[in-house]
Amino acid sequence: MNYQGLDNQSFYKLPEGVSISLISAGITVRSCAYLYDFIIRSVIVVLFAFALKIFGESGTGMSLIVYFCVSWGYYIFFEAKDGRTPGKKKYNLRVVQDNGLPANLQSIIIRNLLRPADSFPFAYALGIVTMACGKEFKRIGDWCAGTMVIHENNIAYEEVSSENHVSNPNIILSTEEQKVVIAFAERSSKLSPARQVELANILSDKLQVADDAANEKLKQMAQFYVGQEI
Amino acid sequence: MKQNLFVRRNNERWGIFVSHCASKKMDLPADFAKQYRQICNDLAIARTRQYSPSLVEKLNRLVRLGQSRLYQGEGIKFRTLISLFQQTFMTSLHENRFFLWAAFASFWGLAVISYTWVVVDPTSVHYFLDLGSIKSIEAMYDPAGSVQSDSRAVSSDVLMFGVYIYNNIGIAFQMFAGGALLCIGALLPLLFNSFYFGAVSAHIVNSGYQDPFFSFVITHGSFELTAIIIAGAAGGKIGYSLLNPGKFARSQAIRLAGKSVLPLIVGAFLMLILAAIIEAFWSPLAIPSFFKYITGVICWGYLLTHLYKGTRYGHY
Repeated sequence: MNYQGLDNQSFYKLPEGVSISLISAGITVRSCAYLYDFIIRSVIVVLFAFALKIFGESGTGMSLIVYFCVSWGYYIFFEAKDGRTPGKKKYNLRVVQDNGLPANLQSIIIRNLLRPADSFPFAYALGIVTMACGKEFKRIGDWCAGTMVIHENNIAYEEVSSENHVSNPNIILSTEEQKVVIAFAERSSKLSPARQVELANILSDKLQVADDAANEKLKQMAQFYVGQEI
Repeated sequence: MKQNLFVRRNNERWGIFVSHCASKKMDLPADFAKQYRQICNDLAIARTRQYSPSLVEKLNRLVRLGQSRLYQGEGIKFRTLISLFQQTFMTSLHENRFFLWAAFASFWGLAVISYTWVVVDPTSVHYFLDLGSIKSIEAMYDPAGSVQSDSRAVSSDVLMFGVYIYNNIGIAFQMFAGGALLCIGALLPLLFNSFYFGAVSAHIVNSGYQDPFFSFVITHGSFELTAIIIAGAAGGKIGYSLLNPGKFARSQAIRLAGKSVLPLIVGAFLMLILAAIIEAFWSPLAIPSFFKYITGVICWGYLLTHLYKGTRYGHY
């Protein structure tokens, strides 16, 4: 399916005969998740280092082991569990396979062991360049493991339905145009009233009403198109 | 069928499906797969009938939910890692035999070269090492020193165990990842370490400390050096798949390479843990070096036969 939208949706065919859409996560949100995880990891390491100090020399050895486990195992542990570290959970991201299925342990290990390659020469510079080269924002580890990071909860809009009877708007619109009107009504709960009016006013010539009335009329049209409660 | 009617007829079924997905129980109802396929069908219908974006989005989410429940991963268990290692390590050795042989030959080849160089010309060690590290290495293996004696406390054993785990496994993982940078990141540390190892052992022999040195390194060296070679070979394979992808696209070649070398890096990880345990708790023991040589020879023999059989036949 050729889809050209402003968002990053890409479509993947399932064996069940239907294609699903995934929105791959970009550099900024993944950096935020990384920083969040980084803070958590640092806190764990520092806490253990202080706590193990009472054991003296062997405590230093144990805290080195903790440091090793946290720096290499943190991502593998959480991502193998359900595809999301605490940072990814906070920003609603999830690691999945290329085809949208949950990532398995093998790919998780590969994608995380390759982190040093992505962070070459500093601050994930190479990884960021690699991510910028593709639509799915894969870093080297993702390429090698066949995984990608997606936005988990796509924004949910309210569905349009109403008990009121709405009359035929008597304007002939194509299916695509009808869908745009419906999308406007569904999104309106996320828009400020002023913005709704501003958007509706673009069509005021065609609708032959302006301001609040145009806004109302568009929503009624949307209700008509999705089918009224009988 | 208008959208609202479609939603009203199916809403209950969707709700039941969501509750199945959300339940933490391991066993799903027998017809869960059927329910899932029905949801897939609903999504296809909603798309072809041009229902509203939010409904399509909702069904898309339901499909994703069912997918992640149906195909969920096994989570992380140490046992999964072990069985992955047991089932596929030997096959993976065979698959990547040329990389392993190349890494093995270059590591030992360069080590022998630097060893001979320093043995023939003892002063040349100063080209490679500065005075401070020479002094500390000499102090470590001085028979009069404290490394292999009862005076070394348990606490410093644990300290060294931590250092070995953190340092050695970190190096192995970094070589694996560095291999993805067109082999360079795997080759450089491998060759540097082999050269350094050869030069240091030659210098120790020149100083006449060979018995404490070789009895110390022989046992854990078997696992440690072999694991480093394996990690280098694994990283090299990833980089090579980018340089010469053959009949595949580079994106596909790197994925196949990653899949094929994963057992190797898991194996190297397990071997390095074993090596760290030996190096911290067995090698520094103050026992006659005869016992250490015996265990060392057993370990080397075990490893080399497995390495040979694995690369040659792909099974034990």
